[in-house]
Amino acid sequence: MTDMPLLPLFILLTSLLASPILFALPERAANLRTGINLGVAAIKVALVAWLGWKVSQGVVYDVHFTVLPGLDFKLQADPLALLFVSLSAILWLITTVYSVGYLESGSHRARFFGFFSLCVAATVGVAMAGNLFTFLIFYELLTLATYPLVIHRGSAEALRAGRIYLIYTLAGGLVLLLGTLGLWIVAGTTDFVPGGILADVAAEQRLVAQMLFVVLVGAVGVKAALVPFHAWLPIAMVAPAPVSALLHAVAVVKAGAFGIMRVVYEVFGIETAQAIGMTAPLAALAAITIIYGSLKAITQDDIKKRLAYSTVSQVSYITLGVALASPIAAVGALAHLIHQGLMKITMFMAAGNLAEGLGVKKVSQMNGVGRAMPGTMLAFTAAALAMIGLPPLAGFVSKWYLAQGGLDTGAVWVVALLLGSSLLNAIYFLPMLYRAWFRDGTETEAVPARRRIGWMLAAPPITTALMVLAVGGFANAPFSPLEWTRFVVAIEYQE
Amino acid sequence: MTLTVYLFVVGWPLVMATALLIPQARPILWRMMPLAPLPALLLGLLVSQPQFVTGEWFVLGLTMGLDDVSRLFLIFTSVLWIAASSAARHWMREDPRATEFAVMFLLAMSGNVGLILSKDAMAFYGAFALMSFASYGLVVHTRDMAARKAALLYIGFVVVGELILFSGLVLAATQAGSILLADMRAAELSGLAVALLLVGFGIKLGVMPLHFWLPPAHGAAPVPASAVLSGAMIKAGLFGIMSAVPLGVVAYGDHGTVVMAAGMVTVFAALLLGVQQTSAKPVLGFSSVSQMGIIAIGLGAALMTPGAWVAIMPVLVFLAAHHGLAKGALFLGVGAWAAQTGRVGQIVLTLAFAVPALVLAGLPITSGGLGKEAMKAALTLGSEVWLPWLTLALTLSGVATTLLMARAIALIWLNPPKAPASKPEALALPFLGLAGLALALPVVWPLLDATMAAPVLDATTGALWPLALGVAIALTVAITAYAQSVGLAEFIDMLTAPARNLSERLSNVWAAKRRAARRLGAAVPRMIEGYTLQWRLSQTAIAGLIAAVLVIEAASSLRDVRLVTPALRLGLTEQDTGLQIPEVETEIEEREPDAILDEPVE
Repeated sequence: MTDMPLLPLFILLTSLLASPILFALPERAANLRTGINLGVAAIKVALVAWLGWKVSQGVVYDVHFTVLPGLDFKLQADPLALLFVSLSAILWLITTVYSVGYLESGSHRARFFGFFSLCVAATVGVAMAGNLFTFLIFYELLTLATYPLVIHRGSAEALRAGRIYLIYTLAGGLVLLLGTLGLWIVAGTTDFVPGGILADVAAEQRLVAQMLFVVLVGAVGVKAALVPFHAWLPIAMVAPAPVSALLHAVAVVKAGAFGIMRVVYEVFGIETAQAIGMTAPLAALAAITIIYGSLKAITQDDIKKRLAYSTVSQVSYITLGVALASPIAAVGALAHLIHQGLMKITMFMAAGNLAEGLGVKKVSQMNGVGRAMPGTMLAFTAAALAMIGLPPLAGFVSKWYLAQGGLDTGAVWVVALLLGSSLLNAIYFLPMLYRAWFRDGTETEAVPARRRIGWMLAAPPITTALMVLAVGGFANAPFSPLEWTRFVVAIEYQE
Repeated sequence: MTLTVYLFVVGWPLVMATALLIPQARPILWRMMPLAPLPALLLGLLVSQPQFVTGEWFVLGLTMGLDDVSRLFLIFTSVLWIAASSAARHWMREDPRATEFAVMFLLAMSGNVGLILSKDAMAFYGAFALMSFASYGLVVHTRDMAARKAALLYIGFVVVGELILFSGLVLAATQAGSILLADMRAAELSGLAVALLLVGFGIKLGVMPLHFWLPPAHGAAPVPASAVLSGAMIKAGLFGIMSAVPLGVVAYGDHGTVVMAAGMVTVFAALLLGVQQTSAKPVLGFSSVSQMGIIAIGLGAALMTPGAWVAIMPVLVFLAAHHGLAKGALFLGVGAWAAQTGRVGQIVLTLAFAVPALVLAGLPITSGGLGKEAMKAALTLGSEVWLPWLTLALTLSGVATTLLMARAIALIWLNPPKAPASKPEALALPFLGLAGLALALPVVWPLLDATMAAPVLDATTGALWPLALGVAIALTVAITAYAQSVGLAEFIDMLTAPARNLSERLSNVWAAKRRAARRLGAAVPRMIEGYTLQWRLSQTAIAGLIAAVLVIEAASSLRDVRLVTPALRLGLTEQDTGLQIPEVETEIEEREPDAILDEPVE
């Protein structure tokens, strides 16, 4: 029963249409802007909830317009898309609240929220793209919409970071364009289909399929920050805290990881990808990224840089789970898409609060901040312990499934890898917690409180921290991310 | 009972910890502190039948419950927490970081209770982690250099232990096809999985060589925290092994050998390291390590011979409770002693301190003596090759513990621990309560579970001589140490003083000879003094002790061998060769008189 066949399009349009309005609003119309922002974000969450209900009832949405013969603009709301859409809708609402608080007295707010809205629209487009062509459009839009956010502060450092960000992502986008063209030529379509569209091609022209795999995964791997394409991510952390939060948790990095899922599961199909022998190298690359990111994170004193390298490492869990080609590991990977988002957004918002409220930007300045900002640091602590993988927090559930998935395919090294990664996580997160809670603040040479942290800054990280607890603690409940993930994996593995 | 009850029992300390964030509520909450573990105790006492409750939605499916073993663990653990909370109330009265301590204390309590009630791997692992990580706050509490070092070492071991445990549990869950601990226990786990589980839990248990964190951490933590760290929390390692490793189901010969050897080394080596400590609490910590060596011996025997598990299991639980209560009492005793200001109080408390010390050292009829004898009896079902050595180690541990206890008592006087100025009697009460319970354990235990207590009650009462030997060595060492401290010549002077006085009174005739004797007496001590200074006193004492026990045990075990083997050998050799039979027969004839005497009666 599709009483509203265009629902996916509406969801896309909510933030897409909000964007020009936000641009047009005068800078001083702060209340109106906030109203529009929050209103649209809330409407979107409601629409996504409705969509989720419909999809779980088995309703199929398919919106498409033909651009060229054989080339469609296509939106679909399959369960995998819904997983990502709900993540972005919910976190967008929370981040909007945070951004409003964060930029209370800032400048260029019209520009900021305009691009912010556009960025989320692009993310939703990436999530619901029904073929690689549509995916490409939104993927490029995402690059262009995030650039102004990264350079929002306008400092020399920010501009340099923005330039590096553009070089990496546009190059990635260009390669993705070539890959899409290649796919269209070889397969005659670019549709995302569970089980893939390249089984025949791979059987006949193995080399072509392999090259396509390298090109496509490499292209989306840039945004997923796979080593050696990761360098832009730690540099881009000069962006304002809400942007970093969104970049790391939902938008850019996740678009890359999500792209890897689409390419592996629905362009190639996991069996084809395995047959052409590409999953093992991808798993190896993910493993290298996981360890490398963690090792780099240990040496960072800047809080946001440390978190950024941690993202490099953590997002590759998703790639690893996809590449292991085991349904159990896939559950871990998809659940980690959500879990990592919740954990990392909590940490970035908490880091933003530390910088805004206490002027603390470095790990070495964190002494005693737990006492100064208990709520923020409790949220940060919960997220950090979740990253290390303590139950019942979110990170544990993904790690458990990844480890079991590794054992399922006979790859015992995955357990060792997770072990090493968790150990490194502990090595770079526990000292932060130690300083925050168990050291007195006397050694802090930080700038005295720049401003009071209002509820708009304090509440979002606490909310997401509670969600970290909830998605782990109630992982087995109906409609939990994990349950939905199992549903998705059953489809991708065509069980 | 429903899941709600179980969640309440685990969650109640968490609720209290959360409420501590409200400054106004803190005084009331501190007063309520001893009530925090009370729901756990009540649950343990009220539930008599094994129970399972499930919560499908939680994590990956939550299962909690109680069975015979976990019930007993729950009871003694919550008793310890109650005593420690009562002591903490007064110990922390003027501490500037009292609130922080209370939060960490309550979190660790919740974890400790939670892991005992958990029946699935996730809940267990989560509770175990909560307990371990929260205890970091307890270890680091005083913030002095020693505490910081101890806490760093502690958290390092915790993190590594958690990770090893995680991989062990993942492997076990995959191999068992279930996340229920009971299913893992029943499955044929691979050697790797069992090894990971043993190491992961072994770190908590403090068996050498995984013990490094334990003595400093237990020494650095405030007294009430040490009591639960040593009394209750390290038992979580034993509980974990008993819950997740298929003991009594599958034989793991190599694992058993390693664990047993580690246990034996632990019993011996903890003594050597313990007597060198310079304050009482690390000595007690090493005593814990030494006692966990005995536990490891039992576990090792059961890993080798699954058939022995039925006999060993109840003894292990009993030993865990015994050590928990006695060691908890001793740590609280150190605190209670330190709070005393008067000499009389100090002497009374020293005497009271000696009670759990003697119980721990294995005084006959007390839980220490019974437990050790029950363990010896249970081990006879295990490997015969190891048996004489195990008996030796268990006997030796009595001597070792006596020495460690003597060292602890001496150190309380020589190097008194710091205590906050608070009501001494309020601190003495929980100590005396626990000490009393430790003493009464052989009576209380059968009331809790008659079946589990049966093997312990059937055991012989135990021998007094290891204890006496320990006391003798301790006295010798003490006297020698005193002699060294005043100078050997002077010491001999002091000893000979009465005789000298007497002789002076008797006659001047002896004067010349006495002067000669004195010259000699001055020369010889100088020699001896130079000699003894090169030798660490403790090592000499221990070498002597080991030699003594070896001789005694060798004598008795030789006798046993001669009693048993000829008959066995006879059966074999009759069929094989006739050569050895005469030799054997002569031996039998030596042993026959009893049998011959019996015959005419028929």
